[in-house]
Amino acid sequence: MSAIEDLVTELSRLPGIGRKTAQRLTFHLLKQPAENAERLAQAIRRVREQVIACGTCGNLTDEDPCAICRDPRRDTALLCVVEEATDVAAIERAARFRGRYHVLGGRLSPLDGLGPEALHLERLLARVGNGSGVREVIVATNPSMEGEVTATYLQQVLRSTGVRVTRIARGLPMGGDLEYADGVTIAQALEARRDMSDAD
Amino acid sequence: MTLLSTPAVILRSYRYSETSKVVRLATRELGVQSAIAKGALRPQSPFGAALELLSEGVAQLYHRDSRELQTLAAFDVTALRRGLATSLGRFAGATTLAEVMLKMAPPAPLPSAYDRLVAGLESLATAPADAVDATAVRALWRLLGVLGFEPSLLACARDGAGLEAGNGAAVIFSAADGGALCARCAAAGAPDGASRLPPPAFRDLLALNDPAAALPALDAAHAAAHRRLVARFTRYHLGEGGAPPSPLPALDLWERRAWIVAS
Ligand SMILES: [Zn+2]
Ligand SMILES: [Zn+2]
Repeated sequence: MSAIEDLVTELSRLPGIGRKTAQRLTFHLLKQPAENAERLAQAIRRVREQVIACGTCGNLTDEDPCAICRDPRRDTALLCVVEEATDVAAIERAARFRGRYHVLGGRLSPLDGLGPEALHLERLLARVGNGSGVREVIVATNPSMEGEVTATYLQQVLRSTGVRVTRIARGLPMGGDLEYADGVTIAQALEARRDMSDAD
Repeated sequence: MTLLSTPAVILRSYRYSETSKVVRLATRELGVQSAIAKGALRPQSPFGAALELLSEGVAQLYHRDSRELQTLAAFDVTALRRGLATSLGRFAGATTLAEVMLKMAPPAPLPSAYDRLVAGLESLATAPADAVDATAVRALWRLLGVLGFEPSLLACARDGAGLEAGNGAAVIFSAADGGALCARCAAAGAPDGASRLPPPAFRDLLALNDPAAALPALDAAHAAAHRRLVARFTRYHLGEGGAPPSPLPALDLWERRAWIVAS
C-alpha cells in the first residue's frame, strides 16, 4: 500500500470521516510545511501516551488526580455521576456546575452484555460513603432508555447511604446524547434537577 | 423502492455517523429489519426522541427486498414504555425479549411474533413489582412459542403420549426433546441437562405458558428456577442445527439476575 493510501485508510477509520474527506486531509497535509505534520503526529502520540483515567473520578487527564479533583474551590459535597468522560467535558462547557464528578465508564445495557458489574459501583459507593462529605449525588446519565434505567438503579443502590440523590431534568431531548447537547440546555437541565422517587 | 408504513418496535439503535443512527426494528409487516435514520442525531431532527430502545411506533420505511439496510423516513411513537426503565428487572426482561426477536425471528413477516413481543413489553412495563419475574418468564415462553419453539407440555415431547399433571410424580423436562417427557420415555433415558420438575413446579410451568391461567406467584427461588428453565430452552433451540452458539448477553444477565437491589 502506498504511503498516501495508508494515511487515507487510517483517517477514514475516524468517526465522521469518509474516504473523500480523508483524501482531502491527506493532500492538505502534503501541501503544508513538514513540521505541521510532525506536530500533528506528536500530538497524537502524546495523547495516547499521557492521557489516563483519573484514579479518583475516572475523568480523562494527564495528571492523576485530574484538575477538577485537585481544585480546592470545587464543592466536595456535590457529586455528578456521568456515563463517559466526554460528558464531563460537556457539563464543564456549560460552566455552571461547581461540584465534582464520577465517571461510570458506561451504562446498563443488557444487549451489549453490560450489567451492574461493568459500572464498578463499589467505587462510587466508596466515594459517597461515611465521612466522604458528599451530601448530594446528581445522576446525569443520558436521557435515553439505558441512561434512565442506569439512573433508577443508581438511586436504588445509593439509598442505603442516605445521601440525597437527584436526577437532571429532561430538558435534554429524549434519545439525544449529552456529548452533543448545547451548554444552555445542559445548564437548564442541571438547574431543574429533581429528587428521584422510589421506582417500585 | 416503495414507501411502506408498519407498526414497529426499536430493538436496537447504533450511532452510525456523526449525524445518523442505524436501528434494528421488529416490524409487524416486514419482520425484523435494519434501517438508517439519516440525521437522527442532529438537534433539530424530526426523529427527535423517537428512536428510543423498546419504544413502539409507526415506521415509514423506504423498502427494497434486495437491500440489507432500509431507509427510515419517519417514526411516530405510539408507546415510549418508560415503565420499562423503572427497574432493572423489567428492563432486563424486556431486552431479553428484544434479543430473542433479533436472534430467533425468521427473516420473514410474522405478525403474531410482533404482537407477542408488544404484549410482552406492555405487560413488563405495567406488572406489579412482585410479579415482574413471572411476567417476564411468561412473555418469553409465549414469544418462543410463536417463533416455532412451543414446548410440549400436555403430551410427551418424544412419543406424544398424554401427560397427566397431578398424579404426584415429578415430570422430566428436556430442552433437547422440546418439552416434558412421559414416565416411560423418562425411564428410557433423559438427555443431559434435563430438569426434574416437582408437580407444583410443573403446574407453574403450565400456567406460565397458558395466557388464560392466573400468573403464578413465584418466590425468589422458584422464579430463579423458571428463569433457568426457559433460558436453557432458549439457548438450546438457538444453537440447533449445529450453528455455533450465539451469545445472548441480555438473556444471561436476566437469568443470573446479577444485581444487588430488589425488583
Ligand atoms: Zn478526577
Ligand atoms: Zn413419552
